[in-house]
Amino acid sequence: MKKVIEIRELGYSYPDGTTALKDINLNVFENETLGIIGPNGAGKSTFLLHLNGLLQGKGYISILDIELKEKNLKKIRSKIGIVFQDPDSQLFMPTVFEDVAFGPMYMGLSKDDVKKLVTDALDRVDMTWAMDKLSHHLSYGEKRRVSIATVLSMSPEILVLDEPSSNLDPKHRRNLINLLKELKITKLIATHDLDMVFDICTRVVLIDDGKIIADGNVNDILSDKALLESHGLEVPLSVVLGEK
Amino acid sequence: MKHDFIDSHSDINSVIHRLDPRAKAILIIAMVISIVLTNPKALISFALYGFLILILIFLSKIPISYILKRFIMVMPFILLIAIFLPFIKDGEALWSHSIFGFDLKITYEGLIIFWNVLIKALLSMLCMTLLIASTKFTHLLKALGDLKLPKIFIMIFSFMYRYIFVLQDELEKLKRAKDSRSAGKRRWLNIKALSNMLGVLFIKSYEKGETVYLAMCSRGFDGNVKLLEYNKLAFSDIIFIVVILMFLVFINVFGRF
Repeated sequence: MKKVIEIRELGYSYPDGTTALKDINLNVFENETLGIIGPNGAGKSTFLLHLNGLLQGKGYISILDIELKEKNLKKIRSKIGIVFQDPDSQLFMPTVFEDVAFGPMYMGLSKDDVKKLVTDALDRVDMTWAMDKLSHHLSYGEKRRVSIATVLSMSPEILVLDEPSSNLDPKHRRNLINLLKELKITKLIATHDLDMVFDICTRVVLIDDGKIIADGNVNDILSDKALLESHGLEVPLSVVLGEK
Repeated sequence: MKHDFIDSHSDINSVIHRLDPRAKAILIIAMVISIVLTNPKALISFALYGFLILILIFLSKIPISYILKRFIMVMPFILLIAIFLPFIKDGEALWSHSIFGFDLKITYEGLIIFWNVLIKALLSMLCMTLLIASTKFTHLLKALGDLKLPKIFIMIFSFMYRYIFVLQDELEKLKRAKDSRSAGKRRWLNIKALSNMLGVLFIKSYEKGETVYLAMCSRGFDGNVKLLEYNKLAFSDIIFIVVILMFLVFINVFGRF
Protein backbone atom coordinates (compact mmCIF):
# COMPACT_ATOMS: atom_id res chain seq x y z
CA MET A 1 0.00 0.00 0.00
CA LYS A 2 1.10 3.52 -0.75
CA LYS A 3 2.19 5.62 2.18
CA VAL A 4 0.41 8.99 2.06
CA ILE A 5 1.49 10.45 5.39
CA GLU A 6 4.76 9.74 7.07
CA ILE A 7 5.56 11.23 10.46
CA ARG A 8 8.81 10.60 12.30
CA GLU A 9 9.59 11.74 15.83
CA LEU A 10 7.24 14.68 15.83
CA GLY A 11 7.40 16.77 18.97
CA TYR A 12 5.79 20.08 19.84
CA SER A 13 5.75 22.36 22.86
CA TYR A 14 3.47 25.35 23.31
CA PRO A 15 5.12 28.76 23.53
CA ASP A 16 4.77 28.61 27.33
CA GLY A 17 6.86 25.43 27.46
CA THR A 18 4.11 22.86 28.03
CA THR A 19 4.78 19.75 26.01
CA ALA A 20 1.86 18.99 23.72
CA LEU A 21 3.23 16.24 21.50
CA LYS A 22 6.13 13.87 22.10
CA ASP A 23 7.83 11.44 19.80
CA ILE A 24 4.95 10.77 17.41
CA ASN A 25 5.70 8.16 14.74
CA LEU A 26 2.90 7.38 12.34
CA ASN A 27 2.39 6.15 8.82
CA VAL A 28 -0.95 6.50 7.11
CA PHE A 29 -1.69 4.54 3.96
CA GLU A 30 -3.79 5.29 0.93
CA ASN A 31 -7.59 4.98 1.35
CA GLU A 32 -7.31 4.26 5.03
CA THR A 33 -9.86 5.73 7.42
CA LEU A 34 -7.89 6.42 10.53
CA GLY A 35 -9.64 7.25 13.79
CA ILE A 36 -7.67 9.39 16.22
CA ILE A 37 -9.09 8.97 19.69
CA GLY A 38 -8.11 10.15 23.13
CA PRO A 39 -9.44 12.10 26.11
CA ASN A 40 -9.91 15.87 26.20
CA GLY A 41 -6.63 17.71 26.04
CA ALA A 42 -4.72 14.66 24.79
CA GLY A 43 -3.27 16.62 21.88
CA LYS A 44 -5.51 15.38 19.07
CA SER A 45 -6.32 18.80 17.65
CA THR A 46 -2.75 20.02 18.11
CA PHE A 47 -1.61 16.98 16.18
CA LEU A 48 -4.00 17.70 13.32
CA LEU A 49 -2.72 21.26 13.03
CA HIS A 50 0.72 19.86 12.23
CA LEU A 51 -0.48 17.96 9.21
CA ASN A 52 -0.62 21.01 6.97
CA GLY A 53 2.00 23.05 8.74
CA LEU A 54 -0.27 25.39 10.70
CA LEU A 55 1.88 24.43 13.67
CA GLN A 56 5.43 23.39 13.09
CA GLY A 57 7.20 21.28 15.66
CA LYS A 58 10.35 19.21 15.68
CA GLY A 59 10.60 16.10 13.59
CA TYR A 60 9.88 15.03 10.04
CA ILE A 61 6.54 15.01 8.25
CA SER A 62 5.91 14.19 4.63
CA ILE A 63 2.56 14.30 2.89
CA LEU A 64 2.29 12.36 -0.39
CA ASP A 65 6.08 12.24 -0.53
CA ILE A 66 6.38 16.00 -0.23
CA GLU A 67 8.32 17.08 2.83
CA LEU A 68 6.44 19.55 5.00
CA LYS A 69 8.52 22.70 4.68
CA GLU A 70 7.73 26.39 4.37
CA LYS A 71 8.21 26.37 0.59
CA ASN A 72 5.96 23.34 0.06
CA LEU A 73 3.11 24.59 2.24
CA LYS A 74 0.93 25.81 -0.60
CA LYS A 75 1.17 22.53 -2.46
CA ILE A 76 0.54 20.47 0.65
CA ARG A 77 -2.45 22.55 1.73
CA SER A 78 -4.17 21.85 -1.57
CA LYS A 79 -3.67 18.10 -1.07
CA ILE A 80 -4.74 17.81 2.55
CA GLY A 81 -8.01 19.37 3.61
CA ILE A 82 -8.68 20.10 7.26
CA VAL A 83 -12.24 20.62 8.49
CA PHE A 84 -12.27 22.42 11.82
CA GLN A 85 -14.60 21.53 14.62
CA ASP A 86 -16.55 24.77 14.76
CA PRO A 87 -18.39 25.42 11.49
CA ASP A 88 -18.44 29.11 12.35
CA SER A 89 -14.67 29.11 12.02
CA GLN A 90 -14.64 26.95 8.94
CA LEU A 91 -17.26 29.06 7.17
CA PHE A 92 -15.84 32.55 7.23
CA MET A 93 -17.27 34.05 4.05
CA PRO A 94 -20.78 35.52 3.99
CA THR A 95 -22.30 33.14 1.41
CA VAL A 96 -21.98 29.40 0.99
CA PHE A 97 -20.76 29.80 -2.58
CA GLU A 98 -17.95 32.17 -1.65
CA ASP A 99 -16.90 29.85 1.14
CA VAL A 100 -16.70 26.74 -0.98
CA ALA A 101 -14.98 28.77 -3.71
CA PHE A 102 -12.33 30.12 -1.35
CA GLY A 103 -9.95 27.17 -1.59
CA PRO A 104 -10.13 26.67 -5.37
CA MET A 105 -9.75 30.41 -5.89
CA TYR A 106 -6.46 30.39 -4.02
CA MET A 107 -5.33 27.46 -6.12
CA GLY A 108 -5.30 29.95 -8.98
CA LEU A 109 -8.03 28.32 -11.06
CA SER A 110 -10.14 30.10 -13.64
CA LYS A 111 -13.58 31.38 -12.75
CA ASP A 112 -15.40 28.64 -14.65
CA ASP A 113 -13.30 25.89 -13.07
CA VAL A 114 -13.96 27.34 -9.65
CA LYS A 115 -17.70 27.36 -10.34
CA LYS A 116 -17.65 23.77 -11.48
CA LEU A 117 -15.65 22.61 -8.46
CA VAL A 118 -18.02 24.43 -6.13
CA THR A 119 -21.09 22.85 -7.72
CA ASP A 120 -19.51 19.40 -7.61
CA ALA A 121 -18.44 19.73 -3.99
CA LEU A 122 -21.86 20.97 -2.87
CA ASP A 123 -23.47 18.19 -4.84
CA ARG A 124 -21.40 15.58 -3.01
CA VAL A 125 -22.70 16.79 0.34
CA ASP A 126 -26.24 17.37 -0.99
CA MET A 127 -26.20 21.09 -0.39
CA THR A 128 -26.45 22.52 -3.92
CA TRP A 129 -29.70 24.21 -2.97
CA ALA A 130 -27.89 26.36 -0.41
CA MET A 131 -25.36 27.81 -2.84
CA ASP A 132 -26.50 31.43 -2.51
CA LYS A 133 -27.59 31.19 1.12
CA LEU A 134 -25.84 33.06 3.89
CA SER A 135 -23.88 30.71 6.13
CA HIS A 136 -25.46 32.02 9.30
CA HIS A 137 -28.90 31.08 8.05
CA LEU A 138 -28.06 27.37 7.88
CA SER A 139 -28.70 24.81 10.60
CA TYR A 140 -25.80 23.24 12.45
CA GLY A 141 -25.97 20.02 10.45
CA GLU A 142 -26.10 21.95 7.20
CA LYS A 143 -23.13 24.06 8.25
CA ARG A 144 -21.19 20.86 8.90
CA ARG A 145 -21.96 19.57 5.44
CA VAL A 146 -20.95 22.83 3.83
CA SER A 147 -17.76 22.80 5.95
CA ILE A 148 -16.86 19.48 4.39
CA ALA A 149 -17.69 20.83 0.94
CA THR A 150 -15.33 23.78 1.46
CA VAL A 151 -12.52 21.27 1.62
CA LEU A 152 -13.82 18.81 -0.98
CA SER A 153 -13.89 21.59 -3.56
CA MET A 154 -10.09 21.62 -3.46
CA SER A 155 -10.13 17.93 -4.48
CA PRO A 156 -7.83 16.91 -1.64
CA GLU A 157 -6.24 13.49 -1.49
CA ILE A 158 -6.43 13.41 2.29
CA LEU A 159 -9.35 14.62 4.38
CA VAL A 160 -8.81 15.55 8.02
CA LEU A 161 -11.81 16.09 10.29
CA ASP A 162 -11.79 17.40 13.83
CA GLU A 163 -14.81 16.15 15.83
CA PRO A 164 -17.11 15.93 12.80
CA SER A 165 -20.06 14.45 14.70
CA SER A 166 -20.10 16.73 17.74
CA ASN A 167 -23.34 18.66 18.37
CA LEU A 168 -25.25 16.77 15.70
CA ASP A 169 -28.58 15.10 16.33
CA PRO A 170 -28.78 11.35 15.54
CA LYS A 171 -30.25 11.85 12.10
CA HIS A 172 -27.67 14.39 10.99
CA ARG A 173 -24.94 12.32 12.58
CA ARG A 174 -26.07 9.33 10.56
CA ASN A 175 -26.15 11.43 7.38
CA LEU A 176 -22.63 12.56 8.09
CA ILE A 177 -21.42 9.01 8.70
CA ASN A 178 -22.96 7.88 5.42
CA LEU A 179 -21.38 10.83 3.66
CA LEU A 180 -17.95 9.96 5.07
CA LYS A 181 -18.38 6.34 4.08
CA GLU A 182 -19.06 7.40 0.51
CA LEU A 183 -15.94 9.53 0.22
CA LYS A 184 -13.30 7.25 -1.13
CA ILE A 185 -10.17 9.09 -0.06
CA THR A 186 -7.77 8.81 2.85
CA LYS A 187 -9.46 10.15 5.96
CA LEU A 188 -8.20 11.07 9.41
CA ILE A 189 -10.91 11.62 11.99
CA ALA A 190 -10.22 12.93 15.47
CA THR A 191 -13.20 12.29 17.70
CA HIS A 192 -14.73 11.14 20.96
CA ASP A 193 -17.52 9.43 19.11
CA LEU A 194 -16.19 5.87 19.37
CA ASP A 195 -19.34 4.39 17.89
CA MET A 196 -18.68 6.37 14.75
CA VAL A 197 -15.06 5.25 14.77
CA PHE A 198 -16.24 1.65 15.06
CA ASP A 199 -18.61 2.24 12.18
CA ILE A 200 -16.33 3.85 9.62
CA CYS A 201 -12.67 3.57 10.59
CA THR A 202 -10.32 0.83 9.50
CA ARG A 203 -7.60 1.67 11.95
CA VAL A 204 -7.37 3.53 15.26
CA VAL A 205 -4.66 5.53 16.95
CA LEU A 206 -5.07 6.27 20.65
CA ILE A 207 -3.35 9.46 21.78
CA ASP A 208 -2.99 10.54 25.39
CA ASP A 209 -0.68 13.06 26.98
CA GLY A 210 0.78 13.92 23.58
CA LYS A 211 1.98 10.40 22.89
CA ILE A 212 0.68 7.56 20.76
CA ILE A 213 -0.45 4.92 23.25
CA ALA A 214 -1.85 2.37 20.84
CA ASP A 215 -2.12 1.94 17.10
CA GLY A 216 -3.97 -0.89 15.50
CA ASN A 217 -7.07 -2.50 14.11
CA VAL A 218 -10.43 -0.99 15.11
CA ASN A 219 -11.82 -4.18 16.63
CA ASP A 220 -8.74 -4.86 18.73
CA ILE A 221 -8.48 -1.40 20.25
CA LEU A 222 -12.16 -0.61 20.72
CA SER A 223 -12.76 -3.90 22.53
CA ASP A 224 -9.80 -3.47 24.88
CA LYS A 225 -11.68 -2.34 27.98
CA ALA A 226 -8.64 -1.91 30.21
CA LEU A 227 -6.74 0.17 27.65
CA LEU A 228 -9.67 2.47 26.86
CA GLU A 229 -10.66 3.03 30.47
CA SER A 230 -7.15 3.86 31.58
CA HIS A 231 -7.21 6.71 29.05
CA GLY A 232 -10.52 8.29 29.86
CA LEU A 233 -12.52 6.42 27.21
CA GLU A 234 -14.90 3.48 27.31
CA VAL A 235 -15.84 0.57 25.10
CA PRO A 236 -18.46 1.89 22.68
CA LEU A 237 -21.96 0.49 22.93
CA SER A 238 -21.96 -0.81 19.38
CA VAL A 239 -18.98 -2.98 20.27
CA VAL A 240 -20.66 -4.23 23.45
CA LEU A 241 -23.82 -5.06 21.52
CA GLY A 242 -21.76 -6.70 18.80
CA GLU A 243 -23.20 -4.69 15.93
CA LYS A 244 -21.52 -4.50 12.53
CA MET B 1 -30.64 31.79 15.43
CA LYS B 2 -31.87 33.87 12.56
CA HIS B 3 -31.08 37.50 12.25
CA ASP B 4 -32.04 39.77 9.46
CA PHE B 5 -30.88 43.24 9.24
CA ILE B 6 -29.19 45.57 6.78
CA ASP B 7 -30.75 43.82 3.79
CA SER B 8 -34.08 42.39 4.87
CA HIS B 9 -35.88 43.71 1.75
CA SER B 10 -33.27 42.55 -0.73
CA ASP B 11 -35.28 39.55 -1.93
CA ILE B 12 -38.07 41.50 -3.61
CA ASN B 13 -38.30 41.00 -7.36
CA SER B 14 -38.33 44.44 -8.97
CA VAL B 15 -36.64 46.42 -11.71
CA ILE B 16 -34.33 48.01 -9.17
CA HIS B 17 -33.46 44.71 -7.51
CA ARG B 18 -32.67 43.11 -10.84
CA LEU B 19 -30.17 45.80 -11.77
CA ASP B 20 -26.53 44.83 -11.60
CA PRO B 21 -25.27 45.94 -8.19
CA ARG B 22 -22.40 47.74 -9.88
CA ALA B 23 -24.78 49.76 -12.02
CA LYS B 24 -26.78 50.60 -8.93
CA ALA B 25 -23.72 51.62 -6.95
CA ILE B 26 -22.46 53.86 -9.77
CA LEU B 27 -25.87 55.49 -10.17
CA ILE B 28 -26.42 56.15 -6.52
CA ILE B 29 -22.93 57.58 -6.10
CA ALA B 30 -23.49 59.78 -9.17
CA MET B 31 -26.78 60.95 -7.75
CA VAL B 32 -25.25 61.77 -4.38
CA ILE B 33 -22.42 63.73 -6.01
CA SER B 34 -24.88 65.57 -8.22
CA ILE B 35 -27.08 66.42 -5.22
CA VAL B 36 -24.15 67.66 -3.18
CA LEU B 37 -22.95 69.92 -5.99
CA THR B 38 -26.34 71.56 -6.52
CA ASN B 39 -26.74 75.25 -5.78
CA PRO B 40 -28.59 75.56 -2.44
CA LYS B 41 -31.02 78.09 -3.91
CA ALA B 42 -32.06 75.83 -6.81
CA LEU B 43 -35.30 74.70 -5.23
CA ILE B 44 -36.66 73.16 -8.41
CA SER B 45 -33.60 70.93 -8.71
CA PHE B 46 -34.16 69.57 -5.23
CA ALA B 47 -37.80 68.95 -5.97
CA LEU B 48 -36.82 67.05 -9.11
CA TYR B 49 -34.27 64.98 -7.22
CA GLY B 50 -36.88 64.12 -4.64
CA PHE B 51 -39.28 63.18 -7.40
CA LEU B 52 -36.65 60.98 -9.09
CA ILE B 53 -35.83 59.19 -5.84
CA LEU B 54 -39.50 58.63 -5.07
CA ILE B 55 -39.98 57.07 -8.49
CA LEU B 56 -37.01 54.78 -7.91
CA ILE B 57 -38.30 53.77 -4.48
CA PHE B 58 -41.71 53.13 -6.00
CA LEU B 59 -40.11 50.98 -8.72
CA SER B 60 -38.18 49.00 -6.11
CA LYS B 61 -41.43 47.98 -4.34
CA ILE B 62 -39.74 48.50 -0.98
CA PRO B 63 -42.34 49.69 1.56
CA ILE B 64 -41.92 53.41 2.07
CA SER B 65 -42.38 52.88 5.81
CA TYR B 66 -39.22 50.79 5.89
CA ILE B 67 -37.21 53.49 4.12
CA LEU B 68 -38.60 56.14 6.46
CA LYS B 69 -37.71 54.07 9.52
CA ARG B 70 -34.13 53.73 8.36
CA PHE B 71 -34.11 57.37 7.57
CA ILE B 72 -35.41 58.48 10.96
CA MET B 73 -32.65 56.50 12.62
CA VAL B 74 -29.99 58.60 10.91
CA MET B 75 -31.76 61.96 10.99
CA PRO B 76 -30.85 62.89 14.61
CA PHE B 77 -27.15 62.77 13.75
CA ILE B 78 -27.63 65.13 10.84
CA LEU B 79 -29.81 67.47 12.88
CA LEU B 80 -27.28 67.50 15.69
CA ILE B 81 -24.62 68.75 13.31
CA ALA B 82 -26.84 71.11 11.35
CA ILE B 83 -28.73 72.73 14.23
CA PHE B 84 -25.84 75.02 15.23
CA LEU B 85 -25.12 76.26 11.73
CA PRO B 86 -27.62 79.16 11.67
CA PHE B 87 -26.00 80.58 14.81
CA ILE B 88 -22.35 80.56 13.85
CA LYS B 89 -22.38 81.99 10.36
CA ASP B 90 -21.74 85.74 10.22
CA GLY B 91 -24.10 87.91 8.27
CA GLU B 92 -27.30 89.87 8.42
CA ALA B 93 -29.18 88.94 11.60
CA LEU B 94 -32.79 87.83 11.26
CA TRP B 95 -33.30 87.20 14.94
CA SER B 96 -31.15 87.93 17.93
CA HIS B 97 -31.35 87.47 21.64
CA SER B 98 -28.99 87.97 24.49
CA ILE B 99 -28.59 85.37 27.23
CA PHE B 100 -26.07 85.67 30.08
CA GLY B 101 -24.14 88.23 28.12
CA PHE B 102 -23.89 86.04 25.02
CA ASP B 103 -25.37 87.36 21.84
CA LEU B 104 -27.35 84.70 20.02
CA LYS B 105 -28.34 85.53 16.49
CA ILE B 106 -29.66 83.69 13.51
CA THR B 107 -28.40 84.96 10.18
CA TYR B 108 -29.83 84.64 6.72
CA GLU B 109 -26.58 83.11 5.44
CA GLY B 110 -26.59 80.65 8.32
CA LEU B 111 -30.14 79.58 7.50
CA ILE B 112 -29.16 78.98 3.88
CA ILE B 113 -26.34 76.70 5.02
CA PHE B 114 -28.69 74.94 7.42
CA TRP B 115 -31.19 74.31 4.64
CA ASN B 116 -28.37 73.29 2.31
CA VAL B 117 -27.00 70.68 4.71
CA LEU B 118 -30.41 69.42 5.66
CA ILE B 119 -31.90 68.93 2.20
CA LYS B 120 -28.72 67.46 0.75
CA ALA B 121 -28.29 65.05 3.64
CA LEU B 122 -31.93 64.09 3.38
CA LEU B 123 -31.81 63.36 -0.35
CA SER B 124 -28.44 61.59 -0.16
CA MET B 125 -29.67 59.47 2.72
CA LEU B 126 -32.71 58.42 0.73
CA CYS B 127 -30.45 57.41 -2.18
CA MET B 128 -28.17 55.39 0.07
CA THR B 129 -31.06 53.73 1.88
CA LEU B 130 -32.49 52.70 -1.45
CA LEU B 131 -29.15 51.23 -2.55
CA ILE B 132 -28.59 49.30 0.66
CA ALA B 133 -32.17 48.11 1.02
CA SER B 134 -32.49 46.87 -2.53
CA THR B 135 -29.15 45.05 -2.78
CA LYS B 136 -27.97 41.95 -0.97
CA PHE B 137 -25.09 42.99 1.24
CA THR B 138 -22.82 40.36 -0.27
CA HIS B 139 -23.60 41.56 -3.78
CA LEU B 140 -23.00 45.13 -2.76
CA LEU B 141 -19.58 44.20 -1.42
CA LYS B 142 -18.71 42.40 -4.62
CA ALA B 143 -19.87 45.37 -6.66
CA LEU B 144 -17.75 47.75 -4.61
CA GLY B 145 -14.81 45.39 -5.07
CA ASP B 146 -15.33 45.46 -8.81
CA LEU B 147 -15.47 49.24 -8.67
CA LYS B 148 -11.94 49.11 -7.25
CA LEU B 149 -12.61 49.74 -3.60
CA PRO B 150 -9.47 48.24 -1.97
CA LYS B 151 -9.96 44.51 -1.48
CA ILE B 152 -8.81 44.64 2.10
CA PHE B 153 -11.86 46.81 2.94
CA ILE B 154 -14.15 44.38 1.17
CA MET B 155 -12.65 41.53 3.17
CA ILE B 156 -13.08 43.41 6.45
CA PHE B 157 -16.70 44.26 5.63
CA SER B 158 -17.48 40.70 4.66
CA PHE B 159 -15.99 39.36 7.90
CA MET B 160 -17.98 41.94 9.79
CA TYR B 161 -21.16 40.85 8.06
CA ARG B 162 -20.39 37.17 8.64
CA TYR B 163 -19.43 37.39 12.29
CA ILE B 164 -21.66 40.12 13.62
CA PHE B 165 -24.41 37.48 13.81
CA VAL B 166 -22.15 34.94 15.48
CA LEU B 167 -21.15 37.49 18.11
CA GLN B 168 -24.73 38.52 18.61
CA ASP B 169 -25.67 34.89 19.29
CA GLU B 170 -22.73 34.62 21.63
CA LEU B 171 -23.83 37.71 23.55
CA GLU B 172 -27.37 36.39 23.81
CA LYS B 173 -26.07 33.11 25.25
CA LEU B 174 -23.97 34.95 27.79
CA LYS B 175 -26.91 37.12 28.72
CA ARG B 176 -29.15 34.12 29.26
CA ALA B 177 -26.53 32.40 31.37
CA LYS B 178 -26.25 35.53 33.47
CA ASP B 179 -29.99 36.06 33.78
CA SER B 180 -30.59 32.48 34.85
CA ARG B 181 -28.13 32.84 37.70
CA SER B 182 -28.83 36.37 38.88
CA ALA B 183 -31.77 36.65 41.21
CA GLY B 184 -32.87 39.85 42.87
CA LYS B 185 -32.36 43.39 41.75
CA ARG B 186 -28.86 44.45 42.52
CA ARG B 187 -28.22 46.96 39.79
CA TRP B 188 -24.55 47.39 40.57
CA LEU B 189 -23.81 43.67 40.33
CA ASN B 190 -25.58 43.66 37.00
CA ILE B 191 -23.31 46.34 35.64
CA LYS B 192 -20.31 44.41 36.90
CA ALA B 193 -21.55 41.25 35.22
CA LEU B 194 -22.12 43.19 32.04
CA SER B 195 -18.56 44.44 31.95
CA ASN B 196 -17.31 40.89 32.52
CA MET B 197 -19.51 39.71 29.69
CA LEU B 198 -18.02 42.28 27.36
CA GLY B 199 -14.56 41.07 28.36
CA VAL B 200 -15.50 37.46 27.66
CA LEU B 201 -17.01 38.50 24.35
CA PHE B 202 -13.82 40.31 23.40
CA ILE B 203 -11.65 37.30 24.20
CA LYS B 204 -14.01 34.99 22.37
CA SER B 205 -13.95 37.11 19.26
CA TYR B 206 -10.18 37.34 19.48
CA GLU B 207 -9.87 33.56 19.68
CA LYS B 208 -12.42 33.13 16.93
CA GLY B 209 -10.26 35.37 14.79
CA GLU B 210 -7.28 33.12 15.42
CA THR B 211 -9.11 29.92 14.42
CA VAL B 212 -10.65 31.60 11.41
CA TYR B 213 -7.17 32.59 10.31
CA LEU B 214 -6.00 29.00 10.69
CA ALA B 215 -8.98 27.80 8.66
CA MET B 216 -8.14 30.35 5.97
CA CYS B 217 -4.51 29.27 5.88
CA SER B 218 -5.46 25.61 5.55
CA ARG B 219 -7.35 26.51 2.44
CA GLY B 220 -4.45 28.27 0.85
CA PHE B 221 -4.79 31.87 2.05
CA ASP B 222 -1.44 33.55 1.52
CA GLY B 223 -2.04 37.08 2.74
CA ASN B 224 -3.31 38.40 -0.59
CA VAL B 225 -7.00 39.05 -0.81
CA LYS B 226 -8.62 37.50 -3.86
CA LEU B 227 -12.21 37.86 -4.93
CA LEU B 228 -14.15 36.20 -7.70
CA GLU B 229 -14.94 38.61 -10.50
CA TYR B 230 -18.26 39.54 -11.98
CA ASN B 231 -19.68 39.05 -15.44
CA LYS B 232 -20.00 41.95 -17.85
CA LEU B 233 -22.72 44.53 -17.32
CA ALA B 234 -25.94 43.67 -19.14
CA PHE B 235 -27.30 45.93 -21.87
CA SER B 236 -30.32 46.85 -19.74
CA ASP B 237 -28.01 47.98 -16.92
CA ILE B 238 -26.18 50.30 -19.28
CA ILE B 239 -29.45 51.73 -20.56
CA PHE B 240 -30.61 52.37 -17.03
CA ILE B 241 -27.34 54.11 -16.16
CA VAL B 242 -27.58 56.30 -19.26
CA VAL B 243 -31.21 57.26 -18.62
CA ILE B 244 -30.60 58.22 -15.01
CA LEU B 245 -27.39 60.09 -15.84
CA MET B 246 -29.25 62.08 -18.52
CA PHE B 247 -31.92 62.86 -15.98
CA LEU B 248 -29.27 64.11 -13.56
CA VAL B 249 -27.73 66.34 -16.24
CA PHE B 250 -31.18 67.65 -17.09
CA ILE B 251 -31.89 68.50 -13.45
CA ASN B 252 -28.57 70.30 -13.15
CA VAL B 253 -29.02 72.33 -16.31
CA PHE B 254 -32.67 73.08 -15.54
CA GLY B 255 -31.83 74.16 -12.01
CA ARG B 256 -29.54 76.92 -13.29
CA PHE B 257 -32.43 79.00 -14.64
